[in-house]
Amino acid sequence: MRKIITLTQVQVKDFLNKYIEHVNVKNRWLGLLSLFIPALFILPAYQLVNSIYEGFNQIGFPELTITYMYIGTVVLMFFACIPMIISVFFYAKDLQFLTTLPVKVEGIIFSKLATVYLYLFVLGCFFFGTSVIVYSTIGEWDLYSLIAGIIALLISPLLPMILTTLIIIPFMALVGKGRKRNLMVVVGNVIFLFVFLFLQLIIARAEMDIESFYHILLQEDGLLRQLGRNFPPSIWLTRMIQGSLLDGGLFVLLNLVFLYALKLVSQLLYTKALLAFNQQGGGEDIHRKGTVSFRKRRIGSQLITRHIQIILSNPIFLINTVLIMFLPILIFMIMLFTGEASREFFHSSELSPYILYIYIGIITAPAMIGNLSATSITREGKAFWETRILPISARENLKYRIYATLLITFIATVLLAIAGGIYLQVSLDIVIRAVIFSVVATLFLSTIDIVINIERPTLNWTSPTAAVKNNLNVIISLFIRVGLGGGGYYIYQLFPHLTANEWVTIATLFFLVLYGISHYIVFGIYTKKFDRIDV
Amino acid sequence: MLALKNVSKTYDRSKRAVNQISLDVEKGEIIGFIGPNGAGKTTTLKMITGIIQPTEGTISIDGVDIMKAPVDAKKNFSYVPDQPTIFDAISGIDYLNFMADMYDVSIRERKKRIEKFSKAFQIDDALTQKVNSYSHGMRQKLLITGAMLSNPKLFILDEPMVGLDPHSARVLKDLMREHCNKGGTVFFSSHGLEVVEDLCDRVAIIHKGKLIACDVVGNIKKSTDTTLENVFLEMTRDA
Ligand SMILES: Nc1ncnc2c1ncn2[C@@H]1O[C@H](COP(=O)(O)OP(=O)(O)OP(=O)(O)O)[C@@H](O)[C@H]1O
Ligand SMILES: [Mg+2]
Repeated sequence: MRKIITLTQVQVKDFLNKYIEHVNVKNRWLGLLSLFIPALFILPAYQLVNSIYEGFNQIGFPELTITYMYIGTVVLMFFACIPMIISVFFYAKDLQFLTTLPVKVEGIIFSKLATVYLYLFVLGCFFFGTSVIVYSTIGEWDLYSLIAGIIALLISPLLPMILTTLIIIPFMALVGKGRKRNLMVVVGNVIFLFVFLFLQLIIARAEMDIESFYHILLQEDGLLRQLGRNFPPSIWLTRMIQGSLLDGGLFVLLNLVFLYALKLVSQLLYTKALLAFNQQGGGEDIHRKGTVSFRKRRIGSQLITRHIQIILSNPIFLINTVLIMFLPILIFMIMLFTGEASREFFHSSELSPYILYIYIGIITAPAMIGNLSATSITREGKAFWETRILPISARENLKYRIYATLLITFIATVLLAIAGGIYLQVSLDIVIRAVIFSVVATLFLSTIDIVINIERPTLNWTSPTAAVKNNLNVIISLFIRVGLGGGGYYIYQLFPHLTANEWVTIATLFFLVLYGISHYIVFGIYTKKFDRIDV
Repeated sequence: MLALKNVSKTYDRSKRAVNQISLDVEKGEIIGFIGPNGAGKTTTLKMITGIIQPTEGTISIDGVDIMKAPVDAKKNFSYVPDQPTIFDAISGIDYLNFMADMYDVSIRERKKRIEKFSKAFQIDDALTQKVNSYSHGMRQKLLITGAMLSNPKLFILDEPMVGLDPHSARVLKDLMREHCNKGGTVFFSSHGLEVVEDLCDRVAIIHKGKLIACDVVGNIKKSTDTTLENVFLEMTRDA
């Protein structure tokens, strides 16, 4: 047991130190600022929870706030922990070292999960945690619910984490033996997430006609059970916070059972999955006889290829990129399948004035959600020195990084533009306007993101999710987008008489100016900073 | 060929890794760079190659300042680091073509050189395999081959013998010698004092960030009946 604790401490320390390192940028003010960035998410979370609370309170079921937020958080946790679990178990650089230690295999598995737990816990604090506090402090002060809520918050990451582990590790073992291993990992994950989202939406689609709604209301706890269908333990959890010791006991017991189950199968997971996976080579046929060819290519195309290959060759980077780029398509397709959206819906009289915005939203999504430039340097990791010694200028070095981002983003945009255009049957006029806007916005976002990465290069990561996901760069980059969106919406409301076409033209020009500025900042100022990154 | 003037490097505002080093390397020379662990060898080589920037001082390669005209300076040298960590999801030959493209090496020239060095280092059969399937020594030899493609005026290596088998180490030594005979210059760090003693024209010794000697081996030893090892241990002993 002591060994397990030490091992866990080491893992957690490593994880936290990396975070502190992340924050510790050269510029002190930026460092301080970036510390507050995650905290800023509390505010919108609080507002969201508050409004949900008011809604449920009006119909007399304030406790449903907790059920609702818990389910939402669990869904979020599932999403967040799939790539993370794959990353820490299968692509972390310390595995070789860990496997040589004289500790029980549970030790290795639990210590690895400890970092995942921490990450999920922070995630849980934002929404679920806020709802616990809102529920137990608004109205009458209820110490019992607060304590029960905090206990629930502490154990909330366990279920999603262990469930995912139990599904993902065997899955990885299965694909690990195949030839196209990396590809399989990515495809498998996309399918997995797809099925998961699909199920969620199917369950959530309650037939809410008036009659059945009354029927549900009449039953005791009818609404709770209705909502709780998405994730049944949420029912126990809600009652636990409401004061039921029995339900609390059941909820805690369930988590313990899962913990124990993980311990039982850990030996199996370790030998059959972890070791097996890590013992295979790259999954490729190593002794493949290719031909040695001597081809000459331009410096630019070589460098762009390099940056793209870095993404393609690492499944975690690839999953991250693919999911981000095609998330709109994924959600869209699921909505179509479940009948949440239909073509008629988009052409209804309420939505049709906004069709230009909707279409822009779809095709600009890859640039908006994707932030490939913000981790372009980080992704290279320990191989970053390579381009440093080459006879190319810092300007060229940065330029081709941005080009690589643009190339990937534009491919996604074109695919989305075609698919979305055909489905929504938008006019050519709309397509042209939207594409122009999207190109300009993408140019700006891809350029400005590289500034974040130069400020915070973080080349020293052990597991690849740390490079592209659990990385403040990504949050800062998203923050720029949220700021732009919020500001844009505010101005939009100030001038209600402008048409959609006028708005989009203004926004396009605005982004064009921003692009000019960002170009100047990157190539005028940040090339020098780039040269000063210590390796 | 290589000139360092009062070069210093301070890490994290307080850790002085290299302290006021001045050094001149002539064309056609092989210089060995020795010093205890943590003395500042790698740091110095990284500054010369532009991987990190010196806190103070200037470095010029063939008369070109690495800070002022980095691209021109970088055309004149190539570098093999102590850790062969490169982007390794590509095949060996892809890596070599990449390097050749970066230094604008013609097809004829690169074919000739790749064949020559990969045969000598016995990695010619592995060139179509991915670099992530290479052993440590194979990677190192791939990097050396890549670095030699552009026939650099100055060839910089950080502990190149570590991890090489006896045969490959010999090939590398011959290669360094031959490079100098043809007018190239070699600057490398090493812990192998015998190698340094029988290969180098001059030896530079660094200790705690300071250059404490730079001379021909004979002068450093002062007398003939001692070894470079003895002198080195004496000079770098902590008082
Ligand atoms: N990135 C860094 N940040 C902070 N300090 C560093 C960094 N790199 C090196 N140092 C410090 O600088 C000093 C010199 O390190 P350097 O790597 O140059 O030594 P070296 O002579 O190459 O040693 P070795 O023979 O072990 O390779 C050491 O004290 C080391 O701790
Ligand atoms: Mg060193």
